[in-house]
Amino acid sequence: MLSYLDIMRNRVREQRTQRGLSQSEMAAALGVSRQTVISIESGRYLPSLPLAFTIARFFDLTVDKMFDPDDDEEAAR
Amino acid sequence: MMSFIRPRWRKPAGVLLAGAVFAAAWAIRGGPRWWLFVTLVALAALGRAFALYMWAEQDDDVGAIAGSRADERQKLVSLRSWALGGRFAMTAAFIGLTVAVALNASWWWPFLAILAVTGFGYLLGLSNYGIAQEEPGDPSGTGYQVQSPASS
Repeated sequence: MLSYLDIMRNRVREQRTQRGLSQSEMAAALGVSRQTVISIESGRYLPSLPLAFTIARFFDLTVDKMFDPDDDEEAAR
Repeated sequence: MMSFIRPRWRKPAGVLLAGAVFAAAWAIRGGPRWWLFVTLVALAALGRAFALYMWAEQDDDVGAIAGSRADERQKLVSLRSWALGGRFAMTAAFIGLTVAVALNASWWWPFLAILAVTGFGYLLGLSNYGIAQEEPGDPSGTGYQVQSPASS
């Protein structure tokens, strides 16, 4: 059975590198640890809804633009 | 409750307090060379508190948890680790109880007490964090709030 971690993708790394931010700078801005930013970017951790909103607002995007299910996996189900 | 203590000192302070209480128990117990046991307990508590204080300096998950500055993911990691520890304790208590019963030993009751306390803690957790918060008046019949374990 697929877990959410298997099907959820995010654009955190893409958005962060576009803005020329380091993981530490982003972590400090969001009030989380650098390790948590790394885990979110690598898809090993799904942030809570409040943190997902904070991340999306940080990048001036909506939550569904930042986090969405992998279309291929969705279609395969 | 411990908010008046600086985050990095909270866990070491807890260890020192527990060590002081345990050392006091040895002192009250008395007997020959009680002071030796009190000294050993005090040294162990001081060592552990110092290790936690130094651990808290590290820039990793363990350091954040030791320094009481964990974010939501690190709190979840800590929570899961405690849950695993609880399962281990419960399994060990069950094995101990089973062995004690099989041997007709008199030391079965501490294992039963551990099982009872952990079981009660689990039920209390269900009551606090989920089941009891269902609202019967919800028209959809599905909506009840469950607090995220990471936020507690």
